Amino acid sequence: MVSSIAEFVKQVRMEKMDVLEHTAQIFDEIESNSELNHFNVVAKEQAMQQANEIAAGIKIGRHEGKLLGVPISVKDCVCVKGMESRAGSKILSGYKPTFNATVIEKVLVEGAIIIGKTAQDEFGFGTFGTNANIGFEAPKNPLDQDRACGGSSAGSAGFTALTKFTHASIAQSTGGSIASPASFCGVAGFTPTYGLVSRYGLIDYGNSLDKIGTIGKTVEDASLLLGIISGHDPQDSTSLEERFEEKGEAKKIGIVKELFEKSDDKVSKECKKALGKLEAKGFELKEISLPLNSEYGIAAYYLISMTEASTNLARFCGMRYGLHKELEGHFDEYFSSVRSDGFGTEAKRRVLLGTFARMSGFRDAYYLRAMKTRTKLINEFKNAFKEVDVLAHPTMPVIAPKFSEIEKLTPMQNYAMDLCTVPANLAGLPHISVRAGEVNKMPVGLMLTAGHLRENILSSIALEVEGAQ
Amino acid sequence: MSEENKGPGKTIIGLECHVQLDTKSKLFCGCPTTAEEPNSACCEICLGFPGSKPVLNRKALDYALRVALALNCEINREFFFSRKTYFYPDMSKNFQITQYEIPVGKGGHIILSSGKKIRIDRVHIEEDPAALVHSEGLDASRYTKVDYNRSGIPLIEVVTAPDLSSPQEARDFLDQLTTVLHYLGVFDLQNGTLKVDSNLSIEGNERAEVKNITGKRSVEKALAYEEVRQKGLVKKGVHMKRETRAFNEQTSTTRSMRSKESEADYGYIFDPDLPTFELSDSHLEEIRGNLPELHGIKAERFMKQYAIDEYTAQVLSANPVLGDLFEDVSKKVDARFAAKFLSRELLAIINYNNLSLATAGLDPAEISALLEMLLKGEVSERNAKQALIKYALEKIPPAKYIEEQGLKKDLDTDQIEDAVDVVLKEQEKAVADFKAGGQKALNFLVGQVMRKTKGKVEAREIQSILEKKLGA
Repeated sequence: MVSSIAEFVKQVRMEKMDVLEHTAQIFDEIESNSELNHFNVVAKEQAMQQANEIAAGIKIGRHEGKLLGVPISVKDCVCVKGMESRAGSKILSGYKPTFNATVIEKVLVEGAIIIGKTAQDEFGFGTFGTNANIGFEAPKNPLDQDRACGGSSAGSAGFTALTKFTHASIAQSTGGSIASPASFCGVAGFTPTYGLVSRYGLIDYGNSLDKIGTIGKTVEDASLLLGIISGHDPQDSTSLEERFEEKGEAKKIGIVKELFEKSDDKVSKECKKALGKLEAKGFELKEISLPLNSEYGIAAYYLISMTEASTNLARFCGMRYGLHKELEGHFDEYFSSVRSDGFGTEAKRRVLLGTFARMSGFRDAYYLRAMKTRTKLINEFKNAFKEVDVLAHPTMPVIAPKFSEIEKLTPMQNYAMDLCTVPANLAGLPHISVRAGEVNKMPVGLMLTAGHLRENILSSIALEVEGAQ
Repeated sequence: MSEENKGPGKTIIGLECHVQLDTKSKLFCGCPTTAEEPNSACCEICLGFPGSKPVLNRKALDYALRVALALNCEINREFFFSRKTYFYPDMSKNFQITQYEIPVGKGGHIILSSGKKIRIDRVHIEEDPAALVHSEGLDASRYTKVDYNRSGIPLIEVVTAPDLSSPQEARDFLDQLTTVLHYLGVFDLQNGTLKVDSNLSIEGNERAEVKNITGKRSVEKALAYEEVRQKGLVKKGVHMKRETRAFNEQTSTTRSMRSKESEADYGYIFDPDLPTFELSDSHLEEIRGNLPELHGIKAERFMKQYAIDEYTAQVLSANPVLGDLFEDVSKKVDARFAAKFLSRELLAIINYNNLSLATAGLDPAEISALLEMLLKGEVSERNAKQALIKYALEKIPPAKYIEEQGLKKDLDTDQIEDAVDVVLKEQEKAVADFKAGGQKALNFLVGQVMRKTKGKVEAREIQSILEKKLGA
């Protein structure tokens, strides 16, 4: 049994756990599982040096830090100073940020050891982790290597499920990129209220949607890490001044009708079973309908995220950092040449669609209409939270698919897989995916969503679900 | 323009003026707005590194609000920023953060010196791109260098309605605009840059836009060229197409860059990294309350309060430092006399020597003392001017200079007449010339007497003595 982060830190302080040995062992594990492609950067040298410093500090009584000696992996799109940070893209080859993301500063202060950058769909553009760019391989699910980890925080969830050591991961979600892989790998994935965690240092996908969150083996670990990385940051103008509520009571759970109906029967059944156990413990279950979110969520999400992404990706042109070539010809031709080579297929698709949606003549019909739709979808949630404290539904409509099955999906079928995760992400609502059962020996995730800044009630209910397993 | 250009139809001009705001730090990061070494004032934000995020400099927003208020605009109470996306090597993110749907202010106006009202459509804030540097000139340089010190410096864009009807009016508009900006303390008249996109058309025809003209004089030249060019084409019956043109400083001509059909579509979206900013009543009132008296209002007050003519009042109020100096000096010296002296003599010295009133550090007490001496006839105009030049250039107090150089008028009428007699004796030839009707010879004789009297005596006084003695 792996110790929780809290237990591990206690052991470290009592010098019953050797940080150096623990760190060395986790790297042995990473190396012997390298064919699972969970890491884009394995930062062994840097991490061992950190472990040495922490071990030396412990000997002279330096015991502070809620993450003292805890190995933390970081999704590739989160900048770590001096560590190649590519967001899974060839176009950022060689980009070593000159600064740490705010979340990295926060975990370093608490004594965490950064072990590397985890694999992801290029720039977060994917549901399965399979949109890996040239030079990257799709991460494999440790529970069945023919299956995907989910995405886009694929490596973060895959390695969290795989490791036999204490560890948690800093992940990121735009439309479900934490919940999806957490569900497919059977771990806890916590996505906070938009603005609770600073985005400073996050390589953008869709800025109005992007949230840094956490993946842990357990709800406890994921919650602890989220508590550490959250808080106001003046460097991120969209960062909230408020923290999440200290306490909160939750009694009523809303069962989202449409999302159960549209999910695979076996998956729905497992989730209902887990909710049944909560009812037995005194929670009140109530069916809730979210017709607008179920119908228009995917369309609004993809329009807004692709539109924002198409402007975010404009800066990658081979001029200042990352992939570059011999300068030749007109700058337009040079930029096009670097971008043609550096972006993968899905990135190109999203740049093209996103650019189209904001061009004059189409802007009103697509981009602006999607923004208006988003407001309506948020209002639908507000009304739902007048009736219940938390909404529940399957995180993903299926269990982790096989690579061979993913290959057959059209882009539209692929996007439709985000049906359950997209609404809460569009509304900036906190949500957690917790293991609730299994189908064909593969985990099923239950997703719980609460109102803004009500992260605490999510933790407490998710702990109940986890405990009943 | 002259009569011949009035044939084909009226000239219609509209301007988009980009002005650098004189803030200490950049619009979205803490980097300074001034730096010596290229690329020494930049960080991950103004370099657009992945992961960096903008944070609005509230001072720049306040400056823009001052401008919008001073230009009589209606102020919007909620602002957000937009991304204007296009690919260009001077753009660190390949999008510019600007305001699109809702500017800081809209629907204002400026009054030209002729009294004509020019409508202002909008005033908005945006970031300046980096500077492209061609060390050996645009054509000869093998490389384009990029200096990111400029990247992210706050700009305001002031867009006029097509209300201007000549290049001269456009120039007057820009003079009025820069005076307002200088008064507001948001623009450095000497070092701040003004860039203008000018639109000109001949009534009933499509317009041409001349992009990116630096400086007021160049705008006037570019528009003058365009007016002649377009009128010529219209006269010949050529069908005008919308196009974008570039101005060549060296030749004062414009050339076509692209037709408007191939114009970039900027695909504006809301910048999701910057939230909506709300402007409170109290903050707006605070900014309004701190606006200085602007030059138009000040000139009117000067005319009434000091009984000076309109032109002099406008000259004195065009520069806030000069206006203040005038009012201080007028407390001790006759205002009309001070107005004339400062607007003519002082301004001539300042302009001729390329000085700035803001940095010249002129003490109103010293100037008052000099003017008092002049009024009492203790010093000649010529020596007073000389003392003022010394004061402006070398900071020597004028009274002290006059004292030390012995320039005080200490001669009585007899002494002056004696000096005249000596000159008349010495310059027999000039006297003869004068008697033969040579007016030049009289000027020469006046000059000789002035030299003898160290310029202490006014020329007109010497001339009248000479004329009397020569029986003219």
